[in-house]
Amino acid sequence: MEFWKDEAEPIKAFLALFAASAADPELFEGLKKVNQLIWFDYTESGPNCSFYVDARGGELKFGAGKPADPPDLTMSLSADDAHRSWSDKLNPVMAITRKKIRVKGSATGLLKLAPKLKKVAAIYLKVLKDLGWEDKIIK
Amino acid sequence: MNGNTGKIVNVDLTAGKMTVETLPEEYYRKYIGGSGLAAKLFWERGNFAADPLSPEAMLLFMNGPFAGLRLSGASRNSVAGCSPLTGHWGDSSCGGFFAPELRYAGFDGLILTGKAAKPSILLIVDDKVTVEDGSAYWGKGTDEVTAALKAKYGKDYRTLVIGPAAEHLVRYTMILNDGHHATGRAGFGAVMGSKNLKAIVIKATKKDMMLADPAAFDVLRKDLNVRIKDALASDVLHENGTAANLMGGVYSGDVPVKNWTSNFWEEAADALTGSTLTDNYLTRRGACAYCGIACKRYVEVKDGPYAIPDGPGPEYETIVAFGTLIGSIDLAATCKAGRVCNDLGLDSISAGGTIAWAMEAFERGDLTLTDTGGVELKWGDLDTVINRVLPMISRREGKLGELLADGSVAAAKKIGKGLDYTVHSKGLEAPMHDPRGGGHGMALTYAMSPRGACHVADPMLFVEMGARYYPEIGFDFMLEPKTGENKAEAAVMSVALGAIENSACFCQFADAEVTIPDWLALFNTVAGYGWEAKDMMAAGKRVFFLKRLINYRYGLTSADDCLTPRMLEPGKDGEAEGSQVDLEPMKARFYELMDIDPVSGIPTPAALAALGMADEAKHVA
Ligand code: SF4
Repeated sequence: MEFWKDEAEPIKAFLALFAASAADPELFEGLKKVNQLIWFDYTESGPNCSFYVDARGGELKFGAGKPADPPDLTMSLSADDAHRSWSDKLNPVMAITRKKIRVKGSATGLLKLAPKLKKVAAIYLKVLKDLGWEDKIIK
Repeated sequence: MNGNTGKIVNVDLTAGKMTVETLPEEYYRKYIGGSGLAAKLFWERGNFAADPLSPEAMLLFMNGPFAGLRLSGASRNSVAGCSPLTGHWGDSSCGGFFAPELRYAGFDGLILTGKAAKPSILLIVDDKVTVEDGSAYWGKGTDEVTAALKAKYGKDYRTLVIGPAAEHLVRYTMILNDGHHATGRAGFGAVMGSKNLKAIVIKATKKDMMLADPAAFDVLRKDLNVRIKDALASDVLHENGTAANLMGGVYSGDVPVKNWTSNFWEEAADALTGSTLTDNYLTRRGACAYCGIACKRYVEVKDGPYAIPDGPGPEYETIVAFGTLIGSIDLAATCKAGRVCNDLGLDSISAGGTIAWAMEAFERGDLTLTDTGGVELKWGDLDTVINRVLPMISRREGKLGELLADGSVAAAKKIGKGLDYTVHSKGLEAPMHDPRGGGHGMALTYAMSPRGACHVADPMLFVEMGARYYPEIGFDFMLEPKTGENKAEAAVMSVALGAIENSACFCQFADAEVTIPDWLALFNTVAGYGWEAKDMMAAGKRVFFLKRLINYRYGLTSADDCLTPRMLEPGKDGEAEGSQVDLEPMKARFYELMDIDPVSGIPTPAALAALGMADEAKHVA
């Protein structure tokens, strides 16, 4: 992996990102509108490298690993590309077209979140700084 | 002949004479079908001196090679000829159910000339083509006529119907298939109207088709149908229609607001996006023939001023044209406006664009109450638009109806003001994608498109998003939308790919999944061309060149490959703030790469000869 020392690091960063995003009222509302169970599958970077976001039924939960329920949407990519993506340095459409991101299920909910990705990236930057991982920030 | 039927039917409506003709296979190999084959036939036979609304004008309906072959997205057809709106080459793609029926009847195309003595209907039942009396339908809306024709002939007869606007020769009128699917752009409804032809009704009973390699095609077809249906974009389109990503468009600055004076109206994102249509008004989904995506909508607005019964719903273009473009975010109103446009037979893009221009002109005082015959035109006043302006346009009624019935450019010329804030290229009002937000490459292809500003002449809209990737032909662009960098390079391939799509009559939503090897396998298993990628790309380029040559014969040059001042202003707000299209360098590079003469705007003799177009080159020498 280019950015991470082990498979636990990215999950720590991404869960911190979702915790910080959930604390932002606009993003919290935006995430709830997604109304789906999404599994972010980075297992190509390690067997335990994944997390889920459960935005069903007006609630927002997230955690490490694969969700217990079958996900509405699975996004499979490498942990490095996930880092680029949350940093707004990877065009998701381009990555999907080139099969760097593989999507299974319905992405209708995620489209509602797409316009907020710039804001998510700003929060991610702060999360990385707070974790003392400034060296991982993509310039 | 494999794949295509090889036959077209010529209908002279003046004489009431039908002639079936077999075309040389070479025409198909060189120009594929659809709008490419139409261009070839128009080049040879079109009367370039004829008024597009005169009996001498030719109107062509052309299928692609995959029509009726049960492949998702591949059964569209093209309608082409001289556009009464722009006065030069025009073509318009239509989904729905006409193309397979025409093919099953044994024809790849239909060419209409002349003018019937009285309102008529063209009836095609297998290879029997007759002209019937259509007087009972004249003056009526497309809804009523479609229902009446289906009641008379049978539900399984397919219909192409024009509305009252086309009878009044409004220059941006459409032809509606089965009451839902529009041949919208370039005004060909009026050409049918000028020929006294209210409708075409078709039914075929045979389905025999000769394919070069039916077994291989069947394997490919099944695989493609699964891949197309399972694609991420297809899921989104199925779920929420063509406006599924309107929200994303609002935030990128792609969705034009108030006649392109703004690129950002945040409330529109939620109010008009496809999921809002689904949640509030959708009754069911629909599809064109054999398409597994099913992006079409049926909607019902139960109450309020814009209540409409269950029926065809608006697509993205209509939602924006009768939404943000004219200063409204009332989704129910766009549903009603779309329904009214369908019934009157108006192209919703040019209608919305023309009305948006008029609203700005009114706000500026360039258009006064005297000019409009007392009709106030205010941003967002959908009541007036739906109940007064659209019906007046469709009947050329009063000063306002007459003024707006010829489109925004003609209206600006008529009042001698406001040309600088028209939004078009080559006289065709621009679709609802603003290149300042959507991507500067799209500005280039709007300017280069032979029919005028068009987002479906080629896939540049998707290319700039990152949604097209063809490594086999070196099409591997990673583009930054809001710059001109590498846009000419991408456009060179994009216009050829677009010409292939529109000649094969393949839907751009579906063919995103079709790779270059798939395209080749399709042509080779269906028509047996034995093509390699270079042959196919040459055919696409040839079609693009031929349409430019046609326009040259109409007097267009490189000076017409332009955009209006409004489109070249910097974006004022949102993500597109400060985004300004620098067209000239992109255009110069495009000409250079395509070997197009920068003055005449047509390909050099060498470029034409390289594509086997030496005869065409001689004609324009
Ligand atoms: S994707 Fe939509 S427009 Fe295209 S062929 Fe299918 S149903 Fe028709």
